[in-house]
Amino acid sequence: MPEVNTDKIFAAFLLRLEEVAQIEDFDDIEKEFLGKNSLLSEERKSLSTLNEVSRKKYGKLLQDLSNNITSKLDEERTKFKSKFFIQREMSDNKDISIDWYKSLGSKNHVLTNVMNEVVDIFAAIGYTVATGPEAETSWHNFDALNTPDWHPARYESDTLYLDNKLENLLRTQTSTVQVRHMQNNKPPVYIVAPGRVYRSDQLDATHSPVFHQIEGLAVDENLTFSDLKGTLEYFVKEFFGKDLKTKFIPHFFPFTEPSAEVLVSWKDGEWLEILGCGMVDPNVFKHVGYDTDSQGFAFGVGVERLAMIRYGIDHIKNFYENDLRFLRQF
Amino acid sequence: MKILKSWLNDWIDIENISNNEISEALESLGFEIENKKELNPNYENIIVGKVLEVYKHPNADKVRITKTDVGNNIYEIVCGAWNFDVGAVVPVALPNSKIKDNFKIDKRDIRGIQSNGMICSAAELDLWDDHDGILLLDDNLLPGTNFSTIYSSNDFIWEVGVTPNRGDCMSYLGIARELSAYFNKKLKNKKSNLKPTIGNILDADSGKIKECNSYGSVEIENFNVTNSSFEMRYRLTQVGTRIINNVVDITNYILYDIGQPLHAFDRDKLFGTISVRKANNNEKITTLDSQVRKLDSNDLVITDNDKPIALAGVMGGLETEVSETTTNLLIESAYFDKVSIMKTSRKLNLISDASIRFERGIDYKIQRYGLERFLMELKDNQSINYSEINVDDKGNLKNKKVILKYSEIKKLLGIDLKESFIKKILKFLMIDAEVNKESVKFTPPSWRYDLDRPVDLIEEFAKHYGFNNFESTLPQGVNKNNKGSYWDLKSYLSSVLTSNNFQEVQTLSFVNKDKNLLFNPEKKYVEVFNAIDQSSKFMRSNLMSSLIDVYKLNDEQNNLSNSYFEINTVFDTSKNIIYEDVPNQNIVLGFLTSSTLSSTDTRLKDQELDLYYVKNILTQLLSSYDLEPITKPGFHQNYSFSIIKNDEIIGHFGQLATETQMTLEFNNEIYLGEIYINKLNLNNLKEINYVPLSQYPFVKFDLSFSVPINLSAHLLVDEINDLLKENENSIEIFDDFQQENSRNLGIRIITRSYDKTYDDNETREILMNISQSLESKFNITLNSSKND
Repeated sequence: MPEVNTDKIFAAFLLRLEEVAQIEDFDDIEKEFLGKNSLLSEERKSLSTLNEVSRKKYGKLLQDLSNNITSKLDEERTKFKSKFFIQREMSDNKDISIDWYKSLGSKNHVLTNVMNEVVDIFAAIGYTVATGPEAETSWHNFDALNTPDWHPARYESDTLYLDNKLENLLRTQTSTVQVRHMQNNKPPVYIVAPGRVYRSDQLDATHSPVFHQIEGLAVDENLTFSDLKGTLEYFVKEFFGKDLKTKFIPHFFPFTEPSAEVLVSWKDGEWLEILGCGMVDPNVFKHVGYDTDSQGFAFGVGVERLAMIRYGIDHIKNFYENDLRFLRQF
Repeated sequence: MKILKSWLNDWIDIENISNNEISEALESLGFEIENKKELNPNYENIIVGKVLEVYKHPNADKVRITKTDVGNNIYEIVCGAWNFDVGAVVPVALPNSKIKDNFKIDKRDIRGIQSNGMICSAAELDLWDDHDGILLLDDNLLPGTNFSTIYSSNDFIWEVGVTPNRGDCMSYLGIARELSAYFNKKLKNKKSNLKPTIGNILDADSGKIKECNSYGSVEIENFNVTNSSFEMRYRLTQVGTRIINNVVDITNYILYDIGQPLHAFDRDKLFGTISVRKANNNEKITTLDSQVRKLDSNDLVITDNDKPIALAGVMGGLETEVSETTTNLLIESAYFDKVSIMKTSRKLNLISDASIRFERGIDYKIQRYGLERFLMELKDNQSINYSEINVDDKGNLKNKKVILKYSEIKKLLGIDLKESFIKKILKFLMIDAEVNKESVKFTPPSWRYDLDRPVDLIEEFAKHYGFNNFESTLPQGVNKNNKGSYWDLKSYLSSVLTSNNFQEVQTLSFVNKDKNLLFNPEKKYVEVFNAIDQSSKFMRSNLMSSLIDVYKLNDEQNNLSNSYFEINTVFDTSKNIIYEDVPNQNIVLGFLTSSTLSSTDTRLKDQELDLYYVKNILTQLLSSYDLEPITKPGFHQNYSFSIIKNDEIIGHFGQLATETQMTLEFNNEIYLGEIYINKLNLNNLKEINYVPLSQYPFVKFDLSFSVPINLSAHLLVDEINDLLKENENSIEIFDDFQQENSRNLGIRIITRSYDKTYDDNETREILMNISQSLESKFNITLNSSKND
């Protein structure tokens, strides 16, 4: 019986491979060369008619052909597939440099961020947030804080009052919260009080009738001036960075004695004043009903000032205009 | 207060101490340095000239030509000033020199005559403002002398802040006293022997009132009102005082030098007894600035036979003012009460160098010395005669002894101070004290009003010890990382909103009445009594008006995003249940979003939002809550709801009234609301009810009911949940179709048993049960059901 020329069949198979245009063509080729009706199948069927020697020899020949076709087919199919996906992905051409999705809002106000940060710094060393009313009594805002009734801070040119007897006012400092807190809590006290305060100033580059302060108060046994220093140095380093230098210079506040201002050495070597502090004045302890030999310290820091220094914000008005061009930057 | 180094050196020897060291000293003593600068003006080619001839300019009437001896030459110089004549000694800016503002002087043709430089006024040399014209120099100066050799051109000036408790440091003497302790240097003495040559013509006393503790005066005759000395004019100008004449200049000079304000009267305009009293109500006086001042019984006046001649401590009277023709003077040196002067000066808005010092408190024993110093400044003036200095001192002011125990120092400062240090500081600060082993018994000096308690002296020691020399220690509270419920709650609410693209804002608390009326016409508003701006004198009663403003601003600015929130206080006059004696005020979370979130992206449509979007935000914020329709001013008739949680109204929300939206010209609907922070409990918001997962397959029904328009779909969901309460369920409204008066509601039910797989019969039974229960309970009709 005539044997088929396997080389010729393989050559025909290779030619067909060259015509492949889509992935399905591989299935057709497989059917054509290896399927039930393929020449190869026909030849295999006729093997039984041969003697043993010829059958073995021809059988091997057919098997080799079948193997070669299968492996070549797999190889080409894989090649085609990967080429196909590469080409398809090559046609996806998005310009990633465009920001189609913008975060619309989704931010806290920069002042809130600063307040959160300061609160976190003090919470880490055991301070809790305390609050008090913004519309206050003159007693809490001034008298209890050792500011006598003739003191210039009490003039109507500086303080916003809510009645003609000047009994109620908009608090000018968050120190009022220390008074309220001490009236209702015994020592030890470790609190911070972030919040709004008010002054009689027109809104301009450096003034605002509304601004924010964070007041801190610690009253505990044996607290000394060194503790005050260490606490504020810790705060400055946590907030502005470890490398920043601080210095304390004497100052005057009616409700602390000794009183100091804390300055930090800023980028250009300039010393910037960032907060006021001092040992709580015995008169304040007296007014809130504490023993006059109680001991503690208090400090107050301007939130707008912290933000302005840190971010180089030039205009206090920006904080309250709420233009998204400003708000989104933080 | 401005401190000139050369002047300070009159009191304490600091010439050889570097400016940096002095800056450091000032700062560590509590004088905040507001400004500092080196003074070294350039007087190159500016010399002394002597005018030899003056003649008319041929082509100009307003200027004259001079022949001026400039040392090695005689120059023709054209000059426009007329206050000098032949023989005058004047400063000349030669060609190739610079005067004020770096203005270059050169040879110049002035109407056909070449001017070889310029004869200068004080102002042109940047010395002081004067109106007289050319600066006339001492006749004895030789022509050609370098101007810089007669004028102390190299100096240093500090501008420092003096805290309100330290009135005693509002003078060179006071600053020097502080520095003396710092540098261990004794103060220099300024004393001289005075010999009165005339008797007093006028009587002067301190009156009957306690507000004038002492009144001192001296009379001077044969005085020539002219310019004060070159040095005095230089110094006063540097500290920012206007040069007037020698009388006024010397009083100002003494004020800066020792802190005692003086006032000069023209004695020839006085007649009787000079005294002090309180003004009568509606009494009037014309002050030096020609203003008629209406007084009341809080004001102090100096009187001449009971007629007011000066507003004590604040400003002199016009009638008794010293003029150029004055020859006889009465100089006043008094102590007036702090508070009284402060009240008058604030009331009349008249703040002077004198009033500032009186209101902080001047040395109550320095009145005589003030007058002595005035006379000492005249010591070269041979022609004058002066009387005895007369001081009427009531002696009411006396500082009390205070005892400070060393243990108190240690307790407050945490350090032991050496006795030698304590003694040294007390000595330099001139504090009279007995120092023993355990305590200091001290009497504050007459210039210190800030040392009446032990703690006051501790502060003094701490300051001189140096704040920066203290150790730093860090005390800590017991409850770490416990920020308290309010702060945690606020942070939680903010985080939910920001993660939903809400932007937090901070708006001012002042509004006009309309902004409160829009949402809270029922409330009474807190009003600022002395408002900064009459158009916004009310404290806001809601945050929504403010949020609308923010929305509007950013809409007009063409900024993207339309969702905002703010957490702040709102006010009204009702009773405050937490804090007595203050108006009602609550911290509120206000939020606002619009129906379209703007976007520039043409690939995507603007995001359309509706009421349900906001409701979802509420769910994220509050976990569970109920809504109850209400009618609320400012809101849409049908879309206005109370938010109820744990049987309490905790806020409200809805859609902005259509009319308001139109008035504001907003194209989009606005959804907004407020939540009362104090009614929330963070634990309730974060409540989690875990439902175990069933291991069995689900059955799913889509039911469609015909329902009334006003039926609350939520009731159906609740009912189904109740019927299937043994199962794990997901029940959702998937369709709400309304047309005229008919309404179809689609409900999708996915339910799983915890213990078996439902067969077809059981499934059908569940469906029947639900549809029948709902139909009978709510009087609705099942249109169709689908079950997969």
